[in-house]
Amino acid sequence: MNPFSELGLADTFEVDVKALEKTHRDLSRALHPDRYVQAPAGERRVALERAVRVNEAFRAVKDPLSRAEALFALRGTPIGDGKEPKPDPDFLMDVLESREALSDAKGEKNAAAVAKLKAAAEANHERVLAALGAVFAKPEKPDESAVKLLGKLRFFRRFLEEVSDVEDDLDAT
Amino acid sequence: MLLEIFDPKAPPRAVGIDLGTTNSLVAYVREGVPTTIENCHMETLVPSVVHYDPRGHTVVGKDAVPLAHEHPRETIVSVKRFMGRGADDPETKRLGPYVFMPADPSGPNTVRFDVRGKPVTPVEVSAEILKSLRELAEDELRTVGGCVITVPAYFDDGQRQATKDAARLAGLDVLRLLNEPTAAALAYGLEKKQNGTFAVYDLGGGTFDVTILLLEDGVFQVKSTGGDSALGGDDMDRALFEHMLASAKKEASTLTPHEVRALLDAAKEVKHALTSADTVTKTLPLAGEPSVTVTRAELDTLVAPLLERTGQASRRAMKDAGIKPKDLDGVILVGGSTRVPAVRAYVAKLFEHEPLSDIDPDSVVALGAAVQADLLTNADREGEVLLLDVLPLSLGIEVGGGVVDKILARNTTIPTGARNTYTTQEDKQTGFLLHVVQGERELAADCRSLARFALKGIPPMPAGLARLEITFKVDADGLLSVHARETTTGIEQRVEVKPSYGLDDDTVERMLTEALDHGESDLLKRRILEGRVEAERVASATEKALANDGHLVSAEERALIESATRALREAAAGEDPQKIRARLDDLDRATKEFAGRRMNVAVARALAGQNVGNLEEGVKHAKGVENAHVERPID
Repeated sequence: MNPFSELGLADTFEVDVKALEKTHRDLSRALHPDRYVQAPAGERRVALERAVRVNEAFRAVKDPLSRAEALFALRGTPIGDGKEPKPDPDFLMDVLESREALSDAKGEKNAAAVAKLKAAAEANHERVLAALGAVFAKPEKPDESAVKLLGKLRFFRRFLEEVSDVEDDLDAT
Repeated sequence: MLLEIFDPKAPPRAVGIDLGTTNSLVAYVREGVPTTIENCHMETLVPSVVHYDPRGHTVVGKDAVPLAHEHPRETIVSVKRFMGRGADDPETKRLGPYVFMPADPSGPNTVRFDVRGKPVTPVEVSAEILKSLRELAEDELRTVGGCVITVPAYFDDGQRQATKDAARLAGLDVLRLLNEPTAAALAYGLEKKQNGTFAVYDLGGGTFDVTILLLEDGVFQVKSTGGDSALGGDDMDRALFEHMLASAKKEASTLTPHEVRALLDAAKEVKHALTSADTVTKTLPLAGEPSVTVTRAELDTLVAPLLERTGQASRRAMKDAGIKPKDLDGVILVGGSTRVPAVRAYVAKLFEHEPLSDIDPDSVVALGAAVQADLLTNADREGEVLLLDVLPLSLGIEVGGGVVDKILARNTTIPTGARNTYTTQEDKQTGFLLHVVQGERELAADCRSLARFALKGIPPMPAGLARLEITFKVDADGLLSVHARETTTGIEQRVEVKPSYGLDDDTVERMLTEALDHGESDLLKRRILEGRVEAERVASATEKALANDGHLVSAEERALIESATRALREAAAGEDPQKIRARLDDLDRATKEFAGRRMNVAVARALAGQNVGNLEEGVKHAKGVENAHVERPID
C-alpha cells in the first residue's frame, strides 16, 4: 500500500499536518462504518476495508518516522528485516554519553540539566528531520548514509520520551 | 404519540443502552429529544442485579435487590466487573460473596458462577439484564430495530466481545459498541459547538474512565483515553465498609456473607447521605447493633487515595493527547460516583475547570447512546456528526523471552489494521505458536491474554527462512481479528479473537433456543422477523443507491440488481428465514461491484473537497498549490 496515494497526496517528506488531518476527517466522513450501518453487507465490507486503509495510511504519513520508512520503500530502499546499516561509532558514543547524562541529572534531581539535554536532543531531532527532507527532495534512490538517519531519528525520539518521563518524575516529587 | 405507539406498522426504532455496573437504562430519541424509557412505575433505572430462584427462573432489577440480602450467592450484583474475565483471574475472588465453578479445561476460559450447582457465565447474567431492557423498550416502541450499547472506554477485547455476546443472547442486534465517555459528550450536545477540546471524567460503580475528546468540523475524535477497569464507587463503599468495621471494632473474617452484603449496603447509604450532610450516624446491621458516626471529612480522607489514582490516569490522558488543562473547553462528569462532593472538588482542581453536570450523571450515558443510535439509523441526520474512536489498549504478539511485540499502539484511531513479519527460531520448525495479548506492559504474562493459536504444516526449512506475516484488524467496535500467513508457502489461518472468552455462533444459537419458552418455534418467529427487517433495510438502501448513483451501473447490471431486489422482497413476504438469507446473499453479490464504485466516488468527492481547501491554503504556501493539483487515482 502506498499511504500517500491512499490519501490523495504526493509522496513528499514535507507534510502540512493540518491539511493532512483535514483529509483524514473528510475521508472518515465518507468511509467510516457508522455511515454504512443501514447498508447491505457487501457495501459495509467494502467501506470497512477502505476505512481501515485510510486510517493505516494516515498513521503512516502523520508520523515522520513511519513516513520516512514508507518513502524509503517507495524509493527502492525497503526498511526492516534487520538489513539496516550499523550506526557510526561516533554516534554510538554520543548516545551512551547522553544516556549517562540523563541518568545523572535524574539522580541529582537537576531540572536545569534535564532541560538542557532536552533542548539539545530537540535540536538534533530537528536536524535529522531536515536531513531526511533533503534526502527525499531528490528523486534518486537514497544511499546507505540516508538510511542511518532513521536510526538517529529513532534514538532522539526515544530519548525525548525518556526525558519526558524524567520530567514527570521530577514534577511529581 | 398514542397513534405512533399503536401503529402496527410502526417502524423499528434503534435504542441506546447503558449496561452499567450498578444500574442499567434504555433510551431512544423521541421527536428529536433523547429520552430514557420508564417502566410502569415511572422508573428508568434497572438495578443490574439478577437473582436465580430454585426453579432456575430469573428475577431481574429492583425485585432482585432485596433477594441479594437473603441469597447473596444466588443473586449476582455488579456482574459487569466479571465480564470477559478468565476463570483463573485472581481478581474475581475479590469481587463478592460468590462461589465459582472450577475452570473447564475443554471449554472457553471464562469465569462461571456456581449458582445452586449450575454454572452461570457473566455473559448469561448480562443477557438477562439486557432482555429486561429489551422488554421495557418493546413495551414503549413495539419493535426495537437494533441498539447501541455503551462500554467503558477502557474495556479490552475480551470485555467488549462478552458484552456483544450478551446482547446477541438477549436477542438484540448491536449496531455499535460505544465508549461511555463519547456517549456522554453526545448527550451534552457538544457536537453542536463544531469545535473544542473536552475531558470526560467517568467514575461509575466499578470502573473509571477518562477521555480527552477533540471536536473539529463536526468530527468527534477521541485523542486519548485512560482509566482503570477496577476502580469505582464500589471501592469507596469498601473503604467506608472497612472504616466502619474498624470503628465498631469488628473483624471482616468473622462476618457471614449475608452480613458482608448488608454492611456494604449500609456503607453505600452512608456515602449517599454524606453528599448533603456533614455527619451521619448509622446503626450497623451486625450482631449487637453497634452504631458508628462518619463525617464528610473522614469520607474525603478515605476516598483521597482512590481519587489520586484517577488523577494519575487523567494527567496521563492529557499528556497522551498533548494538551494542558488550560487547553480544555469543558469537563463533563459521568457516573453516580461523581455526586460525591470530594470528587467534584478534585475534578475542578485537576482540570482547572468547573465540571458540567446538569444532565443526571446516571442517565447521561444512555441518553448519548440513544443519540448515536439515532445518528446511525435516521437518514435525516446523515452526515451530522461522526465519532472517531480509538483502540483503548495496545495489541501485540508474544515473542522470544515472553516479551510483547506491540503491533497496534493504544489510542490508534479505529477501524484499523497493521501487520508484522516473524520468522522461525529453529531449523525444520513446522509450526508457529501465536499468543495474542492486550495491554501496555512489556511482558506478555503481565498483559491480558486474548488468544493462543497455532499455524501448522509449514515445510521444514532452516531457521530464519520461513516468513510468518501476522495481520491484525480492529473493527469500529474495537474488536480484533487476527490473520496469520506463512508467505513462502501461502499456508493461512484466520482467527476471530474470541476462543478464550467469547461464544461461537452455534453456542449462541443453542442458548437462545434453550432460553426461549417455546424453544424452536419462538426462535423461528424471531428469525423471520429479523430477516424481514434486514431485507427491507437492504432493499430500500439498494433502491436509494440506484436512484442516487444510477449512472455508475450498466443497463444489464441495473436489471440484475433490480430483479435481485424484487426476489428479496418476495422472500421477505414468505416464512422461510433461510430463503431470505439466500436472497440477501444474492443481492449482495449483484451489488458488489456497484458498491466498490460508489465507494470510489465517495473517496474522490471527499478528496476533492480537500483539494479546494488546499488551494486556499496554497495562496500562502506554494507547496500547497502543487499538492492540490496532484490527482491520483485510488485503485
